[in-house]
Amino acid sequence: MMANQSDATRNNSVGPVLRSGEIADAVIQALEEDNPGKEFVIQDHLAYVRIETENECIVRRETLERALGRPFQMPELEVNLTSFSGRIETTDTTMRFYLEKRL
Amino acid sequence: MALLERSEWYDIARATNWSPRYVTEGDLFPGDLADPYHLPTTAWEAYDEPYKVSYREYVKVQREKDAGVYSVKAALHRSNYYNLAGPEWMGILKLHYGAIPLTEYAACQLQGQNTRFGRAGSMRNMATFGMLDEMRHSQLQLFFPHELLARDRQFDWAHEAHHTKNWLIIGGRHCFDDVMMTRDAVTNSIMTSFIFETGFTNLQMVGLAADAESVGDFTFANLITSVQSDEARHAQLGIPLIDMMVKHGKTAEVQYAVDVGFWRLWRVFAVLTGIPMDYYIPLDKRHMSFKEFMHEWVIRQFERQLKDLGLERPWYWDIFLNDIEVHHHIQQGGVWSYRPTMWWHPVAGVGPAEREWLDRKYPGWNASFGHYWDTIIDSLLAGREDLTQQKVFPPICNICQIPIANRPGPPWKARAFQLDFEGRRYHFCTPVCRWIFESDPERYKQHESLVDMLVFGRFDPPTPETVLRYMGIGVVSEGGRDSNNYEWIEAYRGKHGHAAKGQVSPLSDCSLGFKGGRKLFILSRFEGDGHVKTVEVDTDFTMDELARYCAQFSVGHHVPDQPGRVLRVRRTTSHDDAPVFARTMRFDDCQPRQMDSFDIFFADN
Ligand SMILES: [Fe+2]
Ligand SMILES: [Fe+2]
Repeated sequence: MMANQSDATRNNSVGPVLRSGEIADAVIQALEEDNPGKEFVIQDHLAYVRIETENECIVRRETLERALGRPFQMPELEVNLTSFSGRIETTDTTMRFYLEKRL
Repeated sequence: MALLERSEWYDIARATNWSPRYVTEGDLFPGDLADPYHLPTTAWEAYDEPYKVSYREYVKVQREKDAGVYSVKAALHRSNYYNLAGPEWMGILKLHYGAIPLTEYAACQLQGQNTRFGRAGSMRNMATFGMLDEMRHSQLQLFFPHELLARDRQFDWAHEAHHTKNWLIIGGRHCFDDVMMTRDAVTNSIMTSFIFETGFTNLQMVGLAADAESVGDFTFANLITSVQSDEARHAQLGIPLIDMMVKHGKTAEVQYAVDVGFWRLWRVFAVLTGIPMDYYIPLDKRHMSFKEFMHEWVIRQFERQLKDLGLERPWYWDIFLNDIEVHHHIQQGGVWSYRPTMWWHPVAGVGPAEREWLDRKYPGWNASFGHYWDTIIDSLLAGREDLTQQKVFPPICNICQIPIANRPGPPWKARAFQLDFEGRRYHFCTPVCRWIFESDPERYKQHESLVDMLVFGRFDPPTPETVLRYMGIGVVSEGGRDSNNYEWIEAYRGKHGHAAKGQVSPLSDCSLGFKGGRKLFILSRFEGDGHVKTVEVDTDFTMDELARYCAQFSVGHHVPDQPGRVLRVRRTTSHDDAPVFARTMRFDDCQPRQMDSFDIFFADN
């Protein structure tokens, strides 16, 4: 049991934790489109959805707008972004989750 | 006219540093408030916040967040939810609202400090938003319980708790005064923005939301996840600082701040979040165990980030992993056993099905914590509710301010870790809290815990009633009682291992009076008891009398009798190997001092 807990730190998972709903669904769709070839693990925890992939992923405004079918400003994502794993980098048109070191 | 993209003007807007002409740089940013690590100015100029937001965006987004929170609240208000919610859920809300809103206000002051003393313009900018965030959190979380006040006076603790000296509130306040209120802008960003807001607030604000959603309190789930969306942004304030510190050879200093802050916050959050998750949420609505949430948020997510920043897990990692299995379980016992001191009605949460779940999630639970609760159940079945109300206090840790306790027996783990420093004796829950004290005694040495106050004679008269009033019980509202009026014990009546009529050991009732010797407080470390107890004894007692006297506070309360065996006494040592005192020896002859710790244990003769 304890060994498992220690080992759990050894992961390279990154990605957003979003409140369940329309935005979360659109982000999942956009992430899959913006990060071709990456596997996403999606865990539904009722009030929140944890979306994770290995080491790095990016979500783009354009793709998100297409998934939502309406204009969208990146800062609006914050309304539903309750947390995230890894580090974050924000620009006008992207949000990136990443880790610098690979374990 | 089209607006410029943020990136086109952001760098100019955040460059708000200037060269002071009337004061020195050191007067403007005194080290003990701004940066005692003396990071070079060039390092500060490179500070780049990873999660950027402009004021215009901030206002728009926050407005949208509030609109969402209030509309869900209005909808649920019409649905009559709180008339139907069980006492367990109401207990969680009272605990949350008592503990959180004014802590948010403290965080607002911390962000205020960073708004003034952050040495990078961009850090001050982020902190300004953080300050507004925290004001939002305290206001929302005061407004929501205010509506519940009309139905239940205990919701008044949302506003009052932090103005009282309730023991649990002192625990929280001592921690947050340490990590938020009394540090410089760099250290408090590491301890609060990084550890608290990226590590632990997720447990209470996102993890607990999953349970809230499951019990149908969408207002609360929505509120706390909305609060956490602010935290996720302003928590990023600490990351560039840690990067800077590591890059400029200050890794040891960051690591120290992480090790202190992590432990302090863990000790508080295990009680605040662990107890509701594993005992209060109705079994069929429980989403995950507290340990599983810890695993997800703290071990998998937060600790991973620690590694990415070039830091190590704290030196006490093994102690911490063990504490995940124990700390909140024994504090749950303590909170329930000392229920008159709480501002909600504590839930026992140990029916047969719950115990089966607990043992599955925490293997070995039944073999140790199970005995603890069986003793309580037997006393209740015997009609001796009085034995389940505690007459003496446990010693309180001089760092975390939480009662000193550990896994109840067998095996028998509870003990105080003591330190004599400048003529005063200090007590700690673990070697980690003792290490925190010893690493910076000037910071901690003056504070007196509630039990120190009792021992130093600060309560007049020194009765439980005085202490309860001191803690705000009967002042702000009545204290707690069993949330379920003991109906839960019926599942055990007549069942295996529980006598049909119930019996109580003669050790639970003691008629022994004081004999006229010196009065002395000692720590009674009674075999199998998960709580160490502070007992005032007479130095003229024989060892047999001492054991007999202390037994009344443990047997039938938290440990069963062992009929046919006798009680013996020895001093507490780290290996349980001190010589056993003769039964007829006068207690004074072992030269006991105030708050010495003694083991009282069963033996064949
Ligand atoms: Fe907050
Ligand atoms: Fe402690």
